[in-house]
Amino acid sequence: MGEVTLKIENVECTYGTTRILKNISFEIKPGDFVGLIGPNGSGKTTLLKSISRVLKPRVGIVLLDGKDVYTLKAKEVAKKVGVVPQETPIPFQFTALEIVLMGRTPHLGWLESEKERDYEIARTAMKIANCLHLSDRIFAELSGGEKQRVLIARALAQEPKVLLLDEPTAHLDINYQEEILNLLKRLSGEKLTILAVFHDLNLAARYCDSLILLNQGEIEAIGTPEEVLTPENIKRVYRIEVLVKRHPITNSLYLIPFLTSNPQTDACDDFTVHLVCGGGTGTPLMHSLLKQGYRVTVGAVSTLDTDYEATTYLNVPVVTLPPFSPASDDAHRIHLELVGRADAVVLTDVPIGWGNLKNLEAVEVALRKGIPVIMVGETPFEKRDFTGGEALERLIRLKDEGAICVKSLNEVLTVIETLRRSCRACRGKSTQKPLSEARGRPLEAFE
Amino acid sequence: MNHPGKKASLWIILIAGLISSIIFSTVVGSAGIPFPDVCNALLSKLPVLNKLAGPVPATYETIIFQIRLPRILLGAMVGAGLAVAGTVLQALFKNPMAEPYIIGVSSGACLGATLAFLTPISSGWFGSSWVTLMSFLGATVTLYVVYNISKIGGKVPIETLLLAGIAVASFLSAITTFLMVQAGEDLHKIYFWLVGSLSAKGWAQVEVASVCVIVGIFVLYLFARDLNVMLTGEESASQLGVEVERSKKVVLAVSTLVTGAAVSVSGVIGFVGLVTPHMMRILVGPNHYTLIPASALAGSITLTLSDTAARMIFSPQEIPVGVVTALFGVPFFLYLLRKRRKAMF
Repeated sequence: MGEVTLKIENVECTYGTTRILKNISFEIKPGDFVGLIGPNGSGKTTLLKSISRVLKPRVGIVLLDGKDVYTLKAKEVAKKVGVVPQETPIPFQFTALEIVLMGRTPHLGWLESEKERDYEIARTAMKIANCLHLSDRIFAELSGGEKQRVLIARALAQEPKVLLLDEPTAHLDINYQEEILNLLKRLSGEKLTILAVFHDLNLAARYCDSLILLNQGEIEAIGTPEEVLTPENIKRVYRIEVLVKRHPITNSLYLIPFLTSNPQTDACDDFTVHLVCGGGTGTPLMHSLLKQGYRVTVGAVSTLDTDYEATTYLNVPVVTLPPFSPASDDAHRIHLELVGRADAVVLTDVPIGWGNLKNLEAVEVALRKGIPVIMVGETPFEKRDFTGGEALERLIRLKDEGAICVKSLNEVLTVIETLRRSCRACRGKSTQKPLSEARGRPLEAFE
Repeated sequence: MNHPGKKASLWIILIAGLISSIIFSTVVGSAGIPFPDVCNALLSKLPVLNKLAGPVPATYETIIFQIRLPRILLGAMVGAGLAVAGTVLQALFKNPMAEPYIIGVSSGACLGATLAFLTPISSGWFGSSWVTLMSFLGATVTLYVVYNISKIGGKVPIETLLLAGIAVASFLSAITTFLMVQAGEDLHKIYFWLVGSLSAKGWAQVEVASVCVIVGIFVLYLFARDLNVMLTGEESASQLGVEVERSKKVVLAVSTLVTGAAVSVSGVIGFVGLVTPHMMRILVGPNHYTLIPASALAGSITLTLSDTAARMIFSPQEIPVGVVTALFGVPFFLYLLRKRRKAMF
């Protein structure tokens, strides 16, 4: 008796002549915690309404334990399905406890008043949802998060087998988000079936057993978070690029949006900036430059370096070093070649050790060739030297020989913008850059 | 709901208030009747307690039972009916402006009454009941028409109902006004009926009104929980197991019929149905299990006392009771509104 399966078959919903949902079919097993995701207007809320017997689908059926919910009475459905709405303005002066007691409605007969047992259930639900202390407060005067918890308690007071939630964490602070979701996770462990709408894909990935991705009223993907939250799916549905990574501690998936697919401007005339970086010092600059439409190359970083990782996500040409080793002559030659093609070279305040000392040599070559060199950062040269003096000497020499020193990322961007303008003025627009085919290709193309 | 002591004292105050306003209204009048005689007369009609009643002069008895008491009880019934209808309609429409006449029942009743006055039957022995009957018919037909205009695919959206009600009411009022202009010597009678009055009513009207109002309030009380839950939104209510459309239909029909009954025996008495529910909501909160009976008692008290004032202030001339309810009730209501300084509703 305790377990209820929810099955949606070929549901299609319309508002007037507008079709909101189309061809929706899926099944949720007892104890599943399913996240419903998708962009605004993709039909998430409508789907919840059609399941909770509020909006009858034009086509298709919603089966609760094998029975069509639209043939059941509201009361019978409400005994099994609890709903936590997105926002409920209740302008009347009901106390939180009175609101939660309303959850007992489906269990009470005609004219039957709430018994001590109903109060007990309501209080227990409030305790579980951590809002018992709000019992005597007026619901309308509670904060968004407090209201949310009271409404969850109301749904729990229904003693449902299925819980539908429309953005349960929308108004909550991060600590309450965790609290509510942990609570839901625990309830799903106790065989409560949960279907919740999420805006936050990372929270959905972290807590849900499976996800349903809606796009324009249709199911775009369904399955485990790993199957659904692929960069391709996200790009197709949300039209942004994301990195899909694993959380270092929870090991759940999380998404990092990083670049709009079209850069702000294409007017940078193939102006190429070469970054000499490492240890993550180059990543923000790499991203900003690409976003503004510059070409970027990177050299030479170790394959364990976070800057290297960034180049792979951002699809930037890069010269790599084997971990913890200095550049081979071959790699160094390629690096010099890459530097030679740049319109400007930026040296971040990466620490210099024996492994990447040769990078400074590449910067010197650039400076001698007349390519503008910009040194970023506020770390004193002495603190960056891990070679016992040699790096320090070279850094000072670079500065003396005319490298431009700036402090912040914004300053670098301003300097590069100035360089680009003067460069366009002197070389004219017809100059063919040899690197123009290189963008977007891995370095192997150079070898 | 968690303060039983406060609740008990509220009921004691309201019930004592109703009894004393009935007694007070019976005592007061152009022919003064001493307080003991009133008590004796009232006691003599009660079961068990009638053994305690002393003798009462026959003239007093006639005045009390043929003139004053029917009028007072009618006022109490009409007041209770209008207040409860206002309470549930405000909840149903989730609109503080809602009142018993909101969907045009009063306009229908007025048209019915006007038509009744313009037919020869109204001057016969059946006249008074004829007007009552016709206005009740007008109210019922209006409800039926407005409801069906608003029905879209088996559901009755509240906003549509509100607008359809206002539109139909304007239409019917226009007809009534036209008929009144054409009425000639009947105009005076019609006008006084329309502004509402409890005077010159007999036991027949009291019986009709009592049955409609008491049964109506009882039925509406059965929907107290549904109304509470529906205050949180129709969708939520449905998800909590309330058959929203059915409850809406019943509450709407019953409250409108109660209003129709009230209007047909007393004309259009304003204010009681709009403001009494608000006053009670301020005092007892929005829970309809408490609010419905509290509004009923408060409505009775308000209208009984207002009617007494209406016949006493410029005695022997009477002023329309609606004037009194507005003149005294509105300032008191505004005082409560300001004192509270919170959202009303």
